[in-house]
Amino acid sequence: MAEALRRVLNAGRAAGPGVDGAAGPPLLLLGAPRSAQTSLLFAAALEAAGEGRGPVLFLTRRPLQSLPLNTPAARDHWRLQKIRFQYPSSVPELLQLLASAHEAPGPAPSLLLLDGLEEYLAEDSGAQEAAYVAALLLDTAAYFSGRLGASGSCGLVVALETPKEGDGDAPHLTLLQRYFPAQCWLQPDALGLGQQHCLRASLESGQLSPRVEWSVTFLPNGEMAVTPWPPQASKPSPDKTSPSAGSQSSTLVCDNLSGPQFPLDSILTSETGADSKT
Amino acid sequence: MAATLPEVVEELLSEMAAAVRDGARIPDEHLSSLKFVFGSSAIQALDLVDRESVTLISSPSGRRVYQVLGSSGKTYTCLASCHYCSCPAFAFSVLRKGDSLLCKHLLAVYLSRVMRNCQQLSVSDKQLTDLLLMEDTRSIKDADGTSSFKTEAY
Repeated sequence: MAEALRRVLNAGRAAGPGVDGAAGPPLLLLGAPRSAQTSLLFAAALEAAGEGRGPVLFLTRRPLQSLPLNTPAARDHWRLQKIRFQYPSSVPELLQLLASAHEAPGPAPSLLLLDGLEEYLAEDSGAQEAAYVAALLLDTAAYFSGRLGASGSCGLVVALETPKEGDGDAPHLTLLQRYFPAQCWLQPDALGLGQQHCLRASLESGQLSPRVEWSVTFLPNGEMAVTPWPPQASKPSPDKTSPSAGSQSSTLVCDNLSGPQFPLDSILTSETGADSKT
Repeated sequence: MAATLPEVVEELLSEMAAAVRDGARIPDEHLSSLKFVFGSSAIQALDLVDRESVTLISSPSGRRVYQVLGSSGKTYTCLASCHYCSCPAFAFSVLRKGDSLLCKHLLAVYLSRVMRNCQQLSVSDKQLTDLLLMEDTRSIKDADGTSSFKTEAY
């Protein structure tokens, strides 16, 4: 990332201190549940796809069963076509894909995303293997950045679901944190009691940047609302988008979190969404 | 390498680079500082640099990777963009125990860049993929140290 995800969380506001085209440091998206991570990664992919830069490479172990978001951006064919999904099913396949990224034709991606790192690391618990996966992800993003040259750099966001509190740390977490100087934690928020599914997103982008927090709420109707935390100005309630927070565009409809009662708009009829219809 | 080193090490390396740039000898105190920070790895890394053991391998794609011919004759692969080396010491001392910052091969990569004696080698894109996969860590150099690339090894 970190900028693509920061922009998702900062919806409607300026990208912050980042220089134009700068992708920010490699970011680890941590916490639970996995579905929220997938939604945020997908939102970051749509955000980056709308910037008129390179395509987005989205790696995940298995095809998404449903489109994680149902926003206007997610229905935009042009954006969807810029997101290339690939499904390496094992660590060797993932490593092969990353190590041979320079052999793939076409423009270099401006954002590299990996969902569910824990599924790959669970296979093999060696520290060197975990470091190798992390290092090769960084190396691939650095190579893409080199190809993009003056037009920007390639961001990297990797989602890792961590065990629930009390169940210990995710394997190799300390090791992975060495490779990913920026981390965004998703934690259950007390405000989410009741029907709402509420998370606190805390972004730490490095030693010199202060921690920034948002409240991410999944409403019963399947929308995802993002508001800055702590609430600003007129004390917006977390279940509504707050105009004072400049978050008009921060309501995202998110249907993989809200269950099958929210039918898909057959947006993603193929794995890549290339032939999707509205 | 875009990887982060402690500021003191960055400073030390850039001072050493400045000395080399000016055609001067690297001051002894810099070498002492290097030994202070990296312990015995510093001497071993300098030895690797002296023996021109570090090779920067690139392919037409522009992707790059380093290979370091270790003292035992084994070749290790070091990524160009972040700290990773395929040697056992990196796995043990750097990753697991966390009591070393770098292994001697990664330090040799830094030092060879400072001292400008990094060997250069061009390979095909496919060969670079194989190198990055680190499945074959055999030497890419001939036994006599020349840099002809043995394609049959892949």
